[in-house]
Amino acid sequence: MKLAQFGSGDFLKAIRPFVGLFVVLLLFMMDAELRSVFFKGGNFKTILTQTVIVATGAMGMTMVIVSGGIDLSAGSVVALCSVVTARLIEQGHGLAAVLTLTVLIGGLVGLANGGIITAFRMMPFIVTLGMMGIARGISKWLANNQTVNPDEPLESVNRLMDNSQSPLTFFPLPDGVWLVLGLAVVMTVVLRATVFGRYVFAIGSNEDTARLCGIRVSSNKIAIYVLAGVFFGLAGVMQFSRLTQGDPSVAIGLELQIIAAVVIGGASLSGGAGSIPGSVIGAFMMACLANGSGIKDWPNYMQEIIIGVVIILAVGMDKVEPILQRFFRRRT
Amino acid sequence: MKSWILVAACGALIWVCGCGSQSGDSAGGGLSIVVIPKGTTHEFWKSIHAGAVKAQQELEAAGQRVEIIWKGPLKEDDRDEQIKVVENFIARGVDGMVLAPLDDKALVRPVETAGNADIPVVIIDSGLESDQYASFVATDNYIGGRMGGEHLGRLLGGKGNVLMLRYAVGSASTTKRENGFLDELKENFPGIKVLSSDQYAGATRDLAYTASQNLLSRYGNEVNGVFCPNESVTVSMTKALRDIGKAGGKVKVIGFDTSVQSLRDLKSGDVQGLVVQNPVKMAYLGVMTLVDHLGGKPVAKRIDTGVALVTRDNMAQPDMQALLDPPLEKYLGSGN
Repeated sequence: MKLAQFGSGDFLKAIRPFVGLFVVLLLFMMDAELRSVFFKGGNFKTILTQTVIVATGAMGMTMVIVSGGIDLSAGSVVALCSVVTARLIEQGHGLAAVLTLTVLIGGLVGLANGGIITAFRMMPFIVTLGMMGIARGISKWLANNQTVNPDEPLESVNRLMDNSQSPLTFFPLPDGVWLVLGLAVVMTVVLRATVFGRYVFAIGSNEDTARLCGIRVSSNKIAIYVLAGVFFGLAGVMQFSRLTQGDPSVAIGLELQIIAAVVIGGASLSGGAGSIPGSVIGAFMMACLANGSGIKDWPNYMQEIIIGVVIILAVGMDKVEPILQRFFRRRT
Repeated sequence: MKSWILVAACGALIWVCGCGSQSGDSAGGGLSIVVIPKGTTHEFWKSIHAGAVKAQQELEAAGQRVEIIWKGPLKEDDRDEQIKVVENFIARGVDGMVLAPLDDKALVRPVETAGNADIPVVIIDSGLESDQYASFVATDNYIGGRMGGEHLGRLLGGKGNVLMLRYAVGSASTTKRENGFLDELKENFPGIKVLSSDQYAGATRDLAYTASQNLLSRYGNEVNGVFCPNESVTVSMTKALRDIGKAGGKVKVIGFDTSVQSLRDLKSGDVQGLVVQNPVKMAYLGVMTLVDHLGGKPVAKRIDTGVALVTRDNMAQPDMQALLDPPLEKYLGSGN
């Protein structure tokens, strides 16, 4: 009986990212050089800080992908919002205003995405591909084609991703890390236990059925893209804090990292599957791999190859699982 | 939720290793120094690598064991990626860092982080808006820009139209060259008109090629001279000039830095002059300065590594040859 439970698809999917992380950490532990450096408090703080931006974006992207969509504009929106943050700080706004307004701009881009996708029944891939260019262009325009460096830095924003004061100890963690952990808990509950969350899964599993069940697919879809935009906006604030400047050319290709994190985290690009903890772990795992490759002195091309292989492996698990399930079922 | 068991297991694993590894301090007497370039594909950075290895070899011959780690950002010219590299090496606990910062502001905090972890940093190539570093070892780029401006001004006889295609936003070294060039023209060659000096090429040769084509389609018929502030722009602009039949001296090109291609262009007469830095010396002095600093010796806060102007006529001279064709194989092996 127990074995049958272990073999169930849902369970294997849910634990996949954790197994992946477990395997990576186990492999790292077997290596003497990595063991002495990788598993240090200061290093883990570094990795967590490096995970924040991808993880924030991944939370928004998870909802979009679970609902059967995709958002390729994520990286550009992060850049746009990092510039917006810089401009707002230049105008002398405080932390609350900067956060709210930036996140609002992100949501606005999401509103445009969702609105166009539902109103004209267009492919999310195409619409957000277009938005990727539009948002990147606007950010360069807004930044006058250069980096934006506020004359009077706003400490509370800069501190979000600052680990410069105690680089060798695990605590204190930067505010941004706590913020992401908190949001991850909230979003897990939203996606698993609220009506909206269940709608997201229903739409992603079968849009027509969801419509027939009385779910207002269009308005929910718009809400999903707006919420995703809000997260990309927040990631933009984090990106600003990391560089302490608004950079219109930052985060090129970040959307692919975010999508990779979500996919490693167990989401299916055909919709209906995915989880917030999985995506966050996926982002963390990629940062661990990058950090570990650095410690091992692997050249950059090795690192790129390894992360590529991990993505394919993670998704390849989809194909291995049915075989495993059959195996377990035969046993019981 | 069985997944929590695995979360707990992962946590436990980290905990056990974390505790077990506190004593594992490596490094058997030698120094480990990481050299972080802006990227790894430009030939300029290979010379930097060679210079660092040269320093290592000389130090080892003198009985000082040094390990040189060479690590560029994963994505070429990505500030965030370079910050990650710096952070990862701080966490790893190297003895010192030689860094060519991609941005004069964005890298300030990571360098301060290194300072707080007692890891001294020597800045090479490009400046940093901070004083938290041990020393700044670099070309005086402003003088290099003026040198290029003077040569172009004389080639054009003090009159004509020139273009300047800037390199990339936020790059301090190339901005100084660009300013030096413009100042030289303004002060000493008032008869020369600058048609455009506000366009940026971008980080890669491909982007620079597109930007050059765009610029030439607009000004191609009236331009007499071009200044290119780095290697990728020089090569791409020359290529774009060849495409429209303006190469070979019809439009005078003054470039910056060298590569196999730009030297070929210099020899064939498509490029009239190259302002060259001494990257081997820069990295060599960077590592040497850092080792001196680690050894407790006082070091100068600013060290200039000089520039030279190479033309078709003087490129065969031995002193220029040493600059143009640094013996990379000797230091990096044939694989590089």
